[in-house]
Amino acid sequence: MNPLVIVHLYGREMNIYGDTGNVLALRRRLEWRGMAVRVDRVGVGDDYDLRRADIVVTGGGEDSAQMAIAGDLADRGPNVHLAVGDGVVFLTVCGTYQLFCRRFVTAAGQEIPGIGVFDAETIGGGTRMIGNIVVDSPWGRLVGFENHSGRTMLAAGQRSLGRVAKGFGNNHSTSEEGAITGSCFGTYLHGSVLPKNPAFADELLRRALVRRGTATALIPLDDRVEAAAAAAAAARP
Amino acid sequence: MVRLAVAVGRLTGLASRLIGRGGTAVPGLVAERLDRSLIEHLASGLSDGVVIVTGTNGKTTTTKMLVAILESAGKRVLTNPAGSNLARGVATALITAFRRGAVQADLAVFEIDEAAVRALGARLTPRLIVVTNLARDQLDRYGELDTTAGHVAAAIEHAAAVVLNADDPMVAGLCGARAAAWFGAVDAIRSTMPDDRSLYGEPMTPSGPAPDSVLLSSVREGDGQVAVVRIGGSEVTVHLAVPGAYNGYNLAAALLAASILGVHPGAAVGALEAMQPAFGRGQVVPYRGRRVKLLLVKNPAGLNQAIRLLSDDVEPAQVLIAINDGHADGRDVSWLWDAGLEELAGSSHRFGAGGVRCADMALRFKYAGIMAWSEPDFAVALDRVVDGAAEGETVYVVPTYTAMLRFLELLQPGVKRPEAWS
Repeated sequence: MNPLVIVHLYGREMNIYGDTGNVLALRRRLEWRGMAVRVDRVGVGDDYDLRRADIVVTGGGEDSAQMAIAGDLADRGPNVHLAVGDGVVFLTVCGTYQLFCRRFVTAAGQEIPGIGVFDAETIGGGTRMIGNIVVDSPWGRLVGFENHSGRTMLAAGQRSLGRVAKGFGNNHSTSEEGAITGSCFGTYLHGSVLPKNPAFADELLRRALVRRGTATALIPLDDRVEAAAAAAAAARP
Repeated sequence: MVRLAVAVGRLTGLASRLIGRGGTAVPGLVAERLDRSLIEHLASGLSDGVVIVTGTNGKTTTTKMLVAILESAGKRVLTNPAGSNLARGVATALITAFRRGAVQADLAVFEIDEAAVRALGARLTPRLIVVTNLARDQLDRYGELDTTAGHVAAAIEHAAAVVLNADDPMVAGLCGARAAAWFGAVDAIRSTMPDDRSLYGEPMTPSGPAPDSVLLSSVREGDGQVAVVRIGGSEVTVHLAVPGAYNGYNLAAALLAASILGVHPGAAVGALEAMQPAFGRGQVVPYRGRRVKLLLVKNPAGLNQAIRLLSDDVEPAQVLIAINDGHADGRDVSWLWDAGLEELAGSSHRFGAGGVRCADMALRFKYAGIMAWSEPDFAVALDRVVDGAAEGETVYVVPTYTAMLRFLELLQPGVKRPEAWS
């Protein structure tokens, strides 16, 4: 089998607090199963058709980093929509999750257009949502850390990633966390999210393999260390 | 009013110590309540002014070096204990030294937290500000790195002079068009010190102008190093008790600051060589016949420096990395994924994970391809890492701040620690 291709999108700019751990988790979980994997780094200005990727991982960043990539992402928007439509798996965290929604309105009222993969919008400012977070999802309990002030509101009909059991998630009021469109996932969880939530990581891999048409059940791995880390995080404030 | 505030603050500190609590923050806190401009009043009486040392890593050691140099030159230097680096810690230091109507010192060298430096820069109008480096650090506490850089940039405007790190792009971008004095290192060293941006693929290039104080070499020697700095046309060789090129940078910064304050670098060597490591910063504590070396880590850049030291030590050693998630540590442990643990994957050391978040550290080890044990109990973890070493050997304990306090309680039971975080 040709190596599975993981694209790390905007790794230079959007890497705040451990987002690179998500790339590492996917890579290791393939390697441990004896499967070939390649990581392509794609950044601002790089010519790259995301339909060639199996999984695209992109993270959070500071406001200045978000501004630095917003233009490039807008240019890349049509290609992202094609890739999502083609079944490419995406994981977008925090800042890029927000830019994958329709728009971001800053506390000062300035509007940053998003690419609208998720039918949702984010309003900046207000009380910061910080702390360990636990979310019930179709892939079990997800545990991570959130740190954002943007409140993301999903439109009616937009599927969420899961329901918040502890913490905030998308906003202060709806108990929803993240969003899913096709195989494109958006979430506020870092921590990093994938190493601590192996069932979710494996779901991303499984979807990528199904799209390849090489779907075989993933060999189970010993995830006791992962489970211990998730349990420890879930028990902390 | 100043005298009253000072007197009440000192009494409070005495009471605080009598009831068994530390006294580093409370007196200043109380005195500041009584007199809102206490710090300004007391600091303005210092004939040789105030020096501020700030930045993400290296504040404590750089401050300690500069104090040692200035004291050896005959100055009476006031400083704040490591960790007491907010306004109340500064106020406590000032009122503690207040006698016969004045602060009994010629000048003050204060380590100041990056989040507090904007306000304290305006209040202290320092003669000199030294900025060690700027990298991502406890984002749940400090917020964005750009915000922190903004605080430091604002503080610099109140300083008569600044000493900046020419090799750090965040620091080099701080001063705009104003004049600054610069420290840095030769390419061979600079290339081993990734800055915040280069961790993620940005090329590492010198950021500021050619430095005035240059670290030429840093060679391990025992627990410390031999560092050579070129400053003012001469080369200064110093046998330091603290290890690592990052402490060589601190040395280059301290020598430059001292020379601006009128102390010739050549005259500083004796004091620097006599200096012992600050609290947990390369400190070696004898314990059950072994030598426990403490390397405090607070953020990815600091952990990478510890990783570099560990990977440079070719003797197989026991290593315990202990991660807590208290307020002083940063509640978010995601930063472990930003550090390059992979560099230790081929090493001959044996690794353990400790602290409240030992499970997260164990997971980080696993994905770095490193076998490690995991133990949340501090006493059990310490015994385990020590038991793995032979009599006389060195073991490494690499803790976050509150984890370090727990280990020091075990290593030195009953020893009072003035340098409590406040």
